[in-house]
Amino acid sequence: MKRKTVSILAVLLVSLTSVASFAAETIKIGALYPMSGRGGLYGQDSEAAIKIALAEVNAKGLPGGRKLEAIVTDDQSKPALAVTLAKRYITEDKVKFLYGVVSSGAALAVTEVSKEYKTIFVGSDHAATDLTANAFQKYYFRVSNNTYQSMAAGAMYMQETKMGGKIAYIGPDYAYGRDQIAELKYSLGKLGVKYEMVGEFWPKLYEPDYTSYITAIIKAKPDVLVSGFWGGDTVAFIKQAKAYGLFDKMKYFHPDGGGNYEVFSTLGAECPEGLIMSARHHNNWPDTKENKDFVQKFHKATGRYPSYAAEGAYAGILVIAEAIRKVGNADDTEALIKAMEGMKIKLPEDPAGFTSYIDPKTHQIVQAQAIGVTVKNDKFPPAKYALGKMKVYAADKIMATEEYIDILTKSKKK
Amino acid sequence: MSFEIFISQFFGGLSVAMLLFLVASGLTLIFGVAKVFNFAHGSFYMIGAYFSYQAIALFDNFWIGALAAALGAGLVGMLLEICFIRRIAGREEEGAFQILLTYAFILILDDAVKFIWGPAYKTISKPESLAGSMDFGAVTIPTYNMFIIVLGLVIVVSAWYVLSRTKTGKIIQAASTDTQMVGMLGVNVSLVMSLVFGVATAMGGLAGAMAAPLRTIAPGTGVEVIIDSLIVVVIGGLGNFWGALFAALLIGEVNAFGILWMPQWASLLSFAVMIVVLIFKPKGLFSREKGRKKI
Repeated sequence: MKRKTVSILAVLLVSLTSVASFAAETIKIGALYPMSGRGGLYGQDSEAAIKIALAEVNAKGLPGGRKLEAIVTDDQSKPALAVTLAKRYITEDKVKFLYGVVSSGAALAVTEVSKEYKTIFVGSDHAATDLTANAFQKYYFRVSNNTYQSMAAGAMYMQETKMGGKIAYIGPDYAYGRDQIAELKYSLGKLGVKYEMVGEFWPKLYEPDYTSYITAIIKAKPDVLVSGFWGGDTVAFIKQAKAYGLFDKMKYFHPDGGGNYEVFSTLGAECPEGLIMSARHHNNWPDTKENKDFVQKFHKATGRYPSYAAEGAYAGILVIAEAIRKVGNADDTEALIKAMEGMKIKLPEDPAGFTSYIDPKTHQIVQAQAIGVTVKNDKFPPAKYALGKMKVYAADKIMATEEYIDILTKSKKK
Repeated sequence: MSFEIFISQFFGGLSVAMLLFLVASGLTLIFGVAKVFNFAHGSFYMIGAYFSYQAIALFDNFWIGALAAALGAGLVGMLLEICFIRRIAGREEEGAFQILLTYAFILILDDAVKFIWGPAYKTISKPESLAGSMDFGAVTIPTYNMFIIVLGLVIVVSAWYVLSRTKTGKIIQAASTDTQMVGMLGVNVSLVMSLVFGVATAMGGLAGAMAAPLRTIAPGTGVEVIIDSLIVVVIGGLGNFWGALFAALLIGEVNAFGILWMPQWASLLSFAVMIVVLIFKPKGLFSREKGRKKI
């Protein structure tokens, strides 16, 4: 009897110490994503991508045999909640990195926490240029393109294809929608592209019905309709506009998020041909081993193809692991920052012959942007269309200029 | 403004208004008769859309989808009324409980659809016969939008008939005026309440199914339609069926022409109309300050 008690105690002790030592070896990442509501898709795709990336980096090994681990919590895309959760991650869970965030509003709040607690925040999705410009702080890094990059590439596309003349814009009435058109106008101005704005339309985010906007846009008779919609709003607008014949009357140009996979998978056969779009990640482009592997791994794990958000969430984990390998531990924050500044990293969305890198000055990842038109492609069901005829814009040509960062800093201070 | 543009905006506004009315009328009916503010009414719109999506996936027929949406949402509505809402009726803290309870329904239904259908956006196709568009000279109106307008009118006329020409309608009107009195006259009041709840939520579900070919369905869609419906109900007078119709038309058209004339301010217009109405008629346009309430 006594021996039995002793042995149980021994087993308990061993298991306890093993848990303790396991805990010591784990490096925690505190991720924040919307897991419910409209943005839930992006959170769930990001979580799946994080798991894939963690399996890869842990299999490859980290210094001292330590493992990376991520905790994912629903921030409901609310800034106040995101701040509370970020602080709890740092003080209670002792995370070494804050991670993720889809809403730019929430990200702008979390970056303040990151600065205050001197904890690195790797942004995987949100696109507001501010974070790597006027709201930049040295603990922040972004591993996906911002809207400036998309719109700068968009302006180059417009110049190249001689798209111009009368332009109308429609985008959600908040920072994301407002920034896109301001950035496009700035880049068009820089390139000397001549155009005339014949209308700007500002439905609210998640507006269910665009009927009255569509008839008003048709009345304005633009040559090009520039669109700044996001996610499901793109789908609703396209479905409603198609019945009015809008796409026969003007070019539809949507360079930041129009070509997101979830737009194609939802629209299926209803997607019109010839829309000019881009996205931060494409399942069918580039045709590299890295991209094919990533897309297939994601499909195997979830049974669906990834939305753009997944690639960013995957990329950030690789960046963090690489930084830890360079430094040799995850405790020296300043050394980790140095390691991440200028880091080169091959990612699924890099076309052949190009490697993404992190701009040491703004901590923004520098990536090429490809813009294409919708063509039939049923390799990624349920989508029946994807982007084709891609035109690729060099990464260094679409970075926010210092002049623009100055303009942004001054205008947002007002 | 040319006549063509006027017609084009007008019909656009009308189709928006009819979908708005389908949701708002249920909301106002429940408030008028059961005195419950059903915060979760938009969620019935959402589950209606999902039911229709599912039925179409199984039977490949749009109309079966519409039927499944109305029946499914109505049944869920009645079930929630019988199991939960009825339990808090007449209690002292009823007002606060109503908000808590119906808000909880929003969260539960959002998570339920995410659990069953996943987080990805869903949409359905228009039925073949309504997929085209009609050209009236220079004006193009999609056939489906025209169908929504006609459907809305059919529902308005049927509702008018039921409410003012049938015994059931008269009981409902009476119950909204004085529930206790109606009960004393031998009417099974709780059955009336459940029925009203069922019909109202069925209308919400039908609205979801009708809107699905134009919009995207996702967890959280319900919250997006409840705000506009609430504005409509407040403008029309809480619990006033005809008020909801008038207010939906007003909001639909004000937005349609607002977008044309001052696109920068378009998203503020609904609120501006509501504020103006509340200043002059604090209980809504169709309220009677004193005397009996009419639905």
